[in-house]
Amino acid sequence: QPAGSLPHGRSAALPQGLRGGREAEEASGSLHVSPPAPRIKRPRLQVVKRLNFRSEEMEELPLPDSPRIDVTPPPSPEDLAELWDHELGRRWSPSGRVPWLRVPWSLLRASDAAADVGLTRASAAARNPDFVHVTSTEGVRAYLVLRADPVATGVQSPLLHVPWRGGGQLDLLGVSFASLKEQVHGERRERLLQEAQRLSDTLRSLGSGEEEAAQPVGAPEEEPADGQDASTHCLWVDEFAPRHYTELLSDDFTNRCLLKWLKLWDLVVFGHERPSRKPRPSVEPARVSREAFRTRIEAATQMESVLGAGGKPNCLVIDEIDGAPVVGSLIILNRKGPQEAEPQGPAVPSGGGRRRRAEGALLMRPIICICNDQFAPSLRQLKQQAFLLHFPPTLPSRLVQRLQEVSLRQGMRTDPGVLAALCEKTDNDIRACINTLQFLYSRGQREVSVRDVQATRVGLKDQRRGLFSVWQEVFQLPRAQRRRVGQDPALPADTLLLGDGDAGSLTSASQRFYRVLHAAASAGEHEKVVQGLFDNFLRLRLRDSSLGAVCAALDWLAFDDLLAGAAHHSQSFQLLRYPPFLPVAFHVLFASGHTPRIIFPSSQQEAQNRMSQMRNLIQTLVSGIAPAMRSRATPQALLLDALCLLLDILAPKLRPVSTQLYSTREKQQLASLVGTMLAYSLTYRQERTPDGQYIYRLEPNVEELCRFPELPARKPLTYQAKQLIALPPPHQPERDFFGRVVVRSTAAPSAGVWGGCCGQDSVERLMGTAVGRSEVWFRFNEGVSNAVRRRLYIRDLL
Amino acid sequence: MVQIVVSSARAGGLAEWVLMELQGEIEARYSTGLAGNLLGDLHYTTEGTPVLIVGHHILYGKIIHLEKPFAVLVKHTPGDQYCDELGRETGTRYLVTALIKDKILFKTRPKPIITNVPKKV
Repeated sequence: QPAGSLPHGRSAALPQGLRGGREAEEASGSLHVSPPAPRIKRPRLQVVKRLNFRSEEMEELPLPDSPRIDVTPPPSPEDLAELWDHELGRRWSPSGRVPWLRVPWSLLRASDAAADVGLTRASAAARNPDFVHVTSTEGVRAYLVLRADPVATGVQSPLLHVPWRGGGQLDLLGVSFASLKEQVHGERRERLLQEAQRLSDTLRSLGSGEEEAAQPVGAPEEEPADGQDASTHCLWVDEFAPRHYTELLSDDFTNRCLLKWLKLWDLVVFGHERPSRKPRPSVEPARVSREAFRTRIEAATQMESVLGAGGKPNCLVIDEIDGAPVVGSLIILNRKGPQEAEPQGPAVPSGGGRRRRAEGALLMRPIICICNDQFAPSLRQLKQQAFLLHFPPTLPSRLVQRLQEVSLRQGMRTDPGVLAALCEKTDNDIRACINTLQFLYSRGQREVSVRDVQATRVGLKDQRRGLFSVWQEVFQLPRAQRRRVGQDPALPADTLLLGDGDAGSLTSASQRFYRVLHAAASAGEHEKVVQGLFDNFLRLRLRDSSLGAVCAALDWLAFDDLLAGAAHHSQSFQLLRYPPFLPVAFHVLFASGHTPRIIFPSSQQEAQNRMSQMRNLIQTLVSGIAPAMRSRATPQALLLDALCLLLDILAPKLRPVSTQLYSTREKQQLASLVGTMLAYSLTYRQERTPDGQYIYRLEPNVEELCRFPELPARKPLTYQAKQLIALPPPHQPERDFFGRVVVRSTAAPSAGVWGGCCGQDSVERLMGTAVGRSEVWFRFNEGVSNAVRRRLYIRDLL
Repeated sequence: MVQIVVSSARAGGLAEWVLMELQGEIEARYSTGLAGNLLGDLHYTTEGTPVLIVGHHILYGKIIHLEKPFAVLVKHTPGDQYCDELGRETGTRYLVTALIKDKILFKTRPKPIITNVPKKV
């Protein structure tokens, strides 16, 4: 069907006003209707011509040059549906015909539309009811002919030979929105039905399991239903979070310490001692930025909200403070008031008391900071002003007790042995235990046996082993070779599938293998682990005297290095699967029952420091070399070839006497030595050693580069010789900026000495043009010579 | 007893000389010697301070009135003198040619005169 023809044989004449302006002008002969809507000043598009809905001028639609015109995406389905519904509801419902939309988008660019939708709708509808207007996201409007698609296959391209985007059909728009909605509803219903089915199945299975054991506590029938809902809705760890003092797991001493500390704040918070009342801490979930952090602290400690929700004073608890930035702890410190609160001070919450700091931040509320690692650097300053309370690890007995309470409340049957095994497996972590119990519960188990505990791998925390524990693991033979097949999370899954009877298939060596492998893999920094192993492995007691183990270990280290290099160089990070086997190899080679103390590795750092130091020395030296020699002195060549010999050249034998007594040859030698040193811009500088001696050191100290600790040091120049070289020769006149010698008149030390002083000869020789050239020199002597007596004979007078 | 006669050179007044006292030595730049060469320039400032410029040194001095004036004696040895009216050969006579009543003393350290002060780089 040619575009532009409407059903019912109606001719679809584009209303005059909506045609391209050019055509309107062209059709000046025909009646010229002024456009009904204001024109948008847009550049006319060529494609306008093609949107010709007059049937008499029907021609072949030219090819859509789609590369040039961008295809605007269809408007959102809501809009479209709204548009459709509105239009269709009005137009088409009586006839019941569903219009199909033709969407040749490349032809959609129609210009000269009115900005107001209502206007166009009215105008379009008035002129021709078979239109629908579509607005693109850019505001471009298109008028689309509606006609029934008898085939009802969706969108069809009228230009079948044109490769259309997405093939011949656009199915999404071919389907009506209503049917799409229906589909979605149907799917959701399906899913709900399935869910319900599953629930009823579980209920049925539970019902059958209940018959065997009588549940003494709680109503088991309604428990599962509630329990299901409850377990899906809230975690047991939250539900069973301690709310009373008796529910705390830490030992009594720690608890009492904390309470006592909190009571000490009574004075500041309430202004007086209160009888036994515990301030209830309000815990705020904090994952805040620094500004928010500050405002939170302020809010908790200073502002009116200091009274909190329940009319009780706030106590701020900050968790994981070792992860906070250093600034955070400084903010807290800034807020610190005096630890010794004035006993008579008023307990006004905000701004009361003396203002110690510009912010007037006197801490009036206790702040409790919780951290995992008290030696984190960000906490250093905070630690100095805080009261430290160290929480010892939870006692298993306490934990078991608590778990029993929990399981009792939830209707699970457990016995202390099982719970003890669970505690051991999770390494006394309360959350892991409760999570495991909840998981087992949610899977329908009401009775927990040892086997369940051993077999489940859920609920275990991701552990990061400390470095020292890893090294200990590597170098120490495990004491008790317990058969902990099922309990060891380090063992691979397939070994767990073996029944209890097959425990013997896993030898203790493989156990150790997997154990160490797991430890090595779970340590965060592999680099540091390897460095620690390298630093410590020679301090162990080696069993074989042939040092074969040492060679093997060194091979492994080289391998590790190669792996790391290859992985990072070519970014083949799959190679990083292999490095964790290095600690295992070390364990096999070196583990013994008795290990010496393991030291933290520092050799890498030291070596790196020294290397950078040497590099700097060479750099300084090279940058100071005179240009004439610089071309031949590359750092590498200098270091490897020339430097040692240069240092030998710079240390000739010089007699430790005054230079005046040198022979010409020696003077020459000295001069050439000084010349060489100048060329390399080396000099001797006097320095004071820590023990008070003065020595001359070469500057820059390139002796360091050539000195190896085991080799004999070369004989250095004597102190006097160095002094000789370092001090300038006495007859060197000072020159001003222009190179002229600055004349200094030197004075004889005492009055009455009739004699010249030294040092003027050179002045005379080197004097340049002087002011007022005169033929005489005046040599000044300080002091008068009146007191000098001379003998005078009378005969001289006669 | 030795007698040395000191008499005035001429009947009129004697010349007034001024003694310049420098604390130091004067040396000749060239090997020609000192005689006949220019020493320097003597100026007086508006306050009356004498200023001596020797070479590229400048010295400031002051005028001191001598408590015991000096007399400049010129020795006249017999043999190249006329005989006196007695016809006898007189002995050595000293003639006073000038009197020195003031001296200019330069005792401060000379300052160098630098014509071209290099600008700071």
